[in-house]
Amino acid sequence: MNEPVVLIRLDDNGRVYRPGETLSGEYRVESLPADEVKAIELSVLWYTEGKGNEDMAVHEFKRLARDDGDWIELQRPSRFSTILPASPLSYDGVILKINWCVRVRVFPRQGKEVLGELPFVLGDVHGAEAVPP
Amino acid sequence: MSRSFRVYQKKRGHRRTGSGKLGRVGEILFFATFLLFGCVGLVVILVALVIPEWRANHEFVETICTVRSKELGQTQGEDGTLYRPEIGIEYAIDGGPHFAKTYDMCGSYSSDRAANQAILAQFDVGRQYPCWYDPLDHDVVVLARGYTWWLWLTFVVPISFLLLGGGGLLYRTMRWGRSAEHLAATARSANSRDGVDSNGSSRNGFPNVPVGTELTNSPGTRLRFRLPISAAGTWVLIGALVACGFWNGIVSVFVVKLGRDFMAGRPQWWLMLFMVPFVVAGIGLIVFFVRQVLIATGIGPTLVEISDHPLRPGRTYRLFVSQAGRLRMNSLVVQLVCDEHVRYRQGTDTRTETRRVHRQEIHGRKDFAIRLGEPWAMECDFSVPPGGMHSFKSENNEVRWSLEVQGDVAGWPDFKRAFPVIVYPDDPTERALA
Repeated sequence: MNEPVVLIRLDDNGRVYRPGETLSGEYRVESLPADEVKAIELSVLWYTEGKGNEDMAVHEFKRLARDDGDWIELQRPSRFSTILPASPLSYDGVILKINWCVRVRVFPRQGKEVLGELPFVLGDVHGAEAVPP
Repeated sequence: MSRSFRVYQKKRGHRRTGSGKLGRVGEILFFATFLLFGCVGLVVILVALVIPEWRANHEFVETICTVRSKELGQTQGEDGTLYRPEIGIEYAIDGGPHFAKTYDMCGSYSSDRAANQAILAQFDVGRQYPCWYDPLDHDVVVLARGYTWWLWLTFVVPISFLLLGGGGLLYRTMRWGRSAEHLAATARSANSRDGVDSNGSSRNGFPNVPVGTELTNSPGTRLRFRLPISAAGTWVLIGALVACGFWNGIVSVFVVKLGRDFMAGRPQWWLMLFMVPFVVAGIGLIVFFVRQVLIATGIGPTLVEISDHPLRPGRTYRLFVSQAGRLRMNSLVVQLVCDEHVRYRQGTDTRTETRRVHRQEIHGRKDFAIRLGEPWAMECDFSVPPGGMHSFKSENNEVRWSLEVQGDVAGWPDFKRAFPVIVYPDDPTERALA
């Protein structure tokens, strides 16, 4: 049996998003029967990367859980949409990077969580280079 | 097997390479043990000390007894002999005689011999006094009721264990089975309920961008806002004073001792040699402290005023800088800088690192003098680079913008004064309108 996999697609894939614009797309879970899924979480979030400890904040979060009486459909792609915030903008610094992504986390009844992630760029900030102090 | 199973491995910051689930179970067991100790301790104190005293005060039955003997009970404690009053009494219940050696319900020893003897002196052998006996056990009787004050202090230990264990267990249980995103979303909801942004500041429409209200609460005399100087210099001065005092205080104890021995004709050469690097370090700290004092007091105030705030990338602003004092300047540079500042864990230490990612000279001047009462001043335009990163602040990561005034003073320590500014994210629509 194939390993379960999460596929995420953005409607304007590859485009740079501007603050206040709508980010929309869909996700689907393959190789996992719907009745074996306990819950699915969709997040639009940013996280830092680099030398410092990782910080993370969720802009949009949606959880579907069977225990809460939610209907989980895996046959068809599930759509999502959110208006992007004014900040923080994506940033490629020297010891700090800020990355935005759509993350889908699937909790099966048995076995390990399945994670799918699709990065996107918010804003048009130039990359930084180290300069002498 | 390509890789051996490791229960707990090296930690890098928040990232662990061991089993996360096992770690969480370990934490729960740790806190559960604390909770258990707290519960057991509390029960022991209640059963052994508090409830008996409460019963003596509320449930014991009063009767009359005759004192037959009295003596100072003694036992050997860790710090010497301990004492307590032991009074032999005879009392009758339902016609049956009872004998007991007692005073109060606690029956504890103390090191205060005089206080215990004073208690004994209150009772005369052969005289009658009121006493209180336990209706459930007639042999349990006391001559004094009330509560022991130090008894309440003993609650501190089990209650601390209870709070630590219970709090930790509750925290861990609430996080159990929740993803990092779920926890972050819950935290965000709590913050927005409190009207607080995720970076701890109030809302300004820009998450994780500092509001910077403290930067605009002082009007300027030439331009709209006078910027406050960064507090970093003050902290460096305080830090230098504390480090200098602490280090040299300790070193001076040894130096004085060595000096006395030397004067008395008993020089300890090896110890003196050993102390040399410590003394040198102490002198270095004194030099550093004096240098900081000279910078703080010898160089006059630097004023920076700005036409608008917060700043936006790609826009132009008016800047006014003035430098007072009586100085012969080799050079003075005003620049706009941006630093990345991060905090990370390394083992059990928390470290910080700062990296400059933008430096733009706004104004520079060489070889000139500043006279007392005639501050040097300049006014010019400057632009924040288009496409530059906005100010950003999260728990461990930060992007800081500031205007820096750097001076190279002839015959005096160089100085650098920073005036933080906030840069908001660029808005092309607003820029076009502006």
